[in-house]
Amino acid sequence: MTETPPISNTTAVAPPAKPGRSLLDDPNVLGWGSIVLTLLVWELMTRLFGVSALYLPRPSQIVVALITMFGNGSLAIDLAVTLWRIFAGFAIALVLGTLLGLWISTSFRTRAVADMFIAALYPLPKVTLIPLLIIWLGTGGPFMLTISFLGAIFPIVINTVLGVSQCDPGLVLAARDLGANQQQIMRRVLLPSAIPSIFAGMRLGLGVSIILVVAAEMVVGKTGLGARLYLAGQILETEQVFAVLIVLAALGIVVTKLQDAVDASLSNWRID
Amino acid sequence: MGMPAVAIEADDLGLTFAPASAAPTVALEAVSCRFEPGRVTALIGPSGCGKSTLLQIVRGFLDPTRGQLRFVVPADGRMAVRPAMSTVWQAFNLFPWLTVVKNVAFGLDLAGVRRAERDERAHRAIAAVDLTGFENRYPRQLSGGMRQRVGLARALVMEPEVLLLDEPFGALDAQTRLVLQEQLARLVETSGTTAILVTHSIEEAILLADAIVVMTARPGRVAAYIDVELPRPRSMATTRDPGFAALFDRIYGLLRDEVMRAMVSGGAGA
Repeated sequence: MTETPPISNTTAVAPPAKPGRSLLDDPNVLGWGSIVLTLLVWELMTRLFGVSALYLPRPSQIVVALITMFGNGSLAIDLAVTLWRIFAGFAIALVLGTLLGLWISTSFRTRAVADMFIAALYPLPKVTLIPLLIIWLGTGGPFMLTISFLGAIFPIVINTVLGVSQCDPGLVLAARDLGANQQQIMRRVLLPSAIPSIFAGMRLGLGVSIILVVAAEMVVGKTGLGARLYLAGQILETEQVFAVLIVLAALGIVVTKLQDAVDASLSNWRID
Repeated sequence: MGMPAVAIEADDLGLTFAPASAAPTVALEAVSCRFEPGRVTALIGPSGCGKSTLLQIVRGFLDPTRGQLRFVVPADGRMAVRPAMSTVWQAFNLFPWLTVVKNVAFGLDLAGVRRAERDERAHRAIAAVDLTGFENRYPRQLSGGMRQRVGLARALVMEPEVLLLDEPFGALDAQTRLVLQEQLARLVETSGTTAILVTHSIEEAILLADAIVVMTARPGRVAAYIDVELPRPRSMATTRDPGFAALFDRIYGLLRDEVMRAMVSGGAGA
C-alpha cells in the first residue's frame, strides 16, 4: 500500500494502528490538520494569483482584522450583546417550554389545544415573523428577546412532551407505590426521565435561536455580530466580514462542545 | 416490629376490561381467597391467569369490576383501612438517575422524613440486602441480582405492613434466583411481615410461602389453597425434604392440567 495524502484518508472508523501512521489515525490531528492545511493553501493561492482582498482576503489579513477589532473592544461588545440576546430568550424558552411540555403531557385538554397551535406554528419559518414582531415590539431588546425565545420554545416543548411520553410506566407505578402524589410524580419521575430528551430539544432550539438573533441583527440591528457583519459587507470590508464569520463559527464550536459535555454527563439518565 | 394486624380478603373479586371499541377482556374472573397477617402467601398459576391483576387490585392501583376487597382485623372481624404496602417489581423499576441510596430513600423523602433519619434507615435497609459499599452506584452499574436487592431494600425501608412481590426474580438468571430466594426467605422469616408473592416458580412458592393459592388459567379463579407446613428456616436443602417433593408434585399436577387446558383453548401466553 502506498502512502496516501491526509486529505484522501477518509476512513470513518478508526483503522487498525499501523506503525508510522498513528498520527494520521488520530481524529483530532486529522480535523485540525485539515483546517491548517486549508488555510495554508488559501494563503498561498491568494498570494500566488494576486486575488483582491475585496473578494477574498488572505487568512493573515483576516487575523489582523480580528485582532484589531477585538483590540478596540468593538467586536467583544458585539459578541456580548449577541450572546445576551440569544441566551436571555433561550433561558425564558427553556423554563416556559419545559413547564408547558409537562403540562401538555399530563393534561388531556391542554394537549388537545396545544397540538393545534404547535402544528400551525412549529413548521412556520420564524424569520417570517420578524416584520410583524418589529411592528409590535420595535427593534430593541424586547424584539430580540422574543425572536430568540420563539426559536427555542418549540423544539423544547416538543421534546419535553416526547421525553415524558417515553417515560417507563413502571417508574411511575413504583413512585406511586412509594407514596408519590401527582405533583411529585411529575417533578420527581416524569421530569427527570425526560431530561435527555429535553437536552436534545435545547440543542435544536439553541441552534435556531442563534440563527434568528443573528438574522434579526442583520435586518434591523445597530449592534451585535449580525449588525457588524451586515455593515462590514455594505462597506466592502471583506476582512471584517470574515472576522465576524470566524467568531460565529467559534461560537458554534464552543456551544456544540459544551452540549456534548452535558450529553455525556447525562448517561445516568439513560436506562442500561 | 408492630403486630401484623390485618387480613386481606378477596371476596368474589373480578376485573373485566371493557373498552368502548373492543370486546371486553376478563382479566380476573371471580377470586375468593384470604391473605393472613404475618404470613407469606404465594399466588401461582399459568400466564394470564390474573395473578398480577389481583396484586394490583390489592395494592389499590386497579379497581375490581365485581366482588369486594376487604381488610379485616382477625381478632374481632372489624373492618380496617388499607394497610401500608410496598411492591417489589419484576422489572425492578429503579430510578436510573438516582444512586442506590437515593433510590432506597425515595419513599422516605416523599413522605418528608428528615434527612438524618432517612439516611440512617436507608443504610440499614441496604445492609439488610448485603449491598453496603454500593450506596453511591447507579442502577446501570449493578448486576440484575443486585438491582433487585435494591428494589427489595427500597420496599423494606418503608416498613410496610404488607410486602407485595410481583414475580420479583422473574427477570433473573437461575443461579442468581436461587441465592436471592434464600435471602428473601431469611428476610421474611426474621421480619414476620405479611407478604403476597406472585410467581411462576413452584419451587419459589414452596420455599418462601406459608400458603399457596393455585389459580386456574384465563379467566382466573382459585383452583386450590394449600398450606405449606415445611419447617423454617428454609433453604435449598429444603428442596430435598420429602414433604417438598410431595407438595411440588401436587402443585405441578394442578398447574399442568391448567396449562394444558389453556393451550387447548388457545389462551396460554408465553
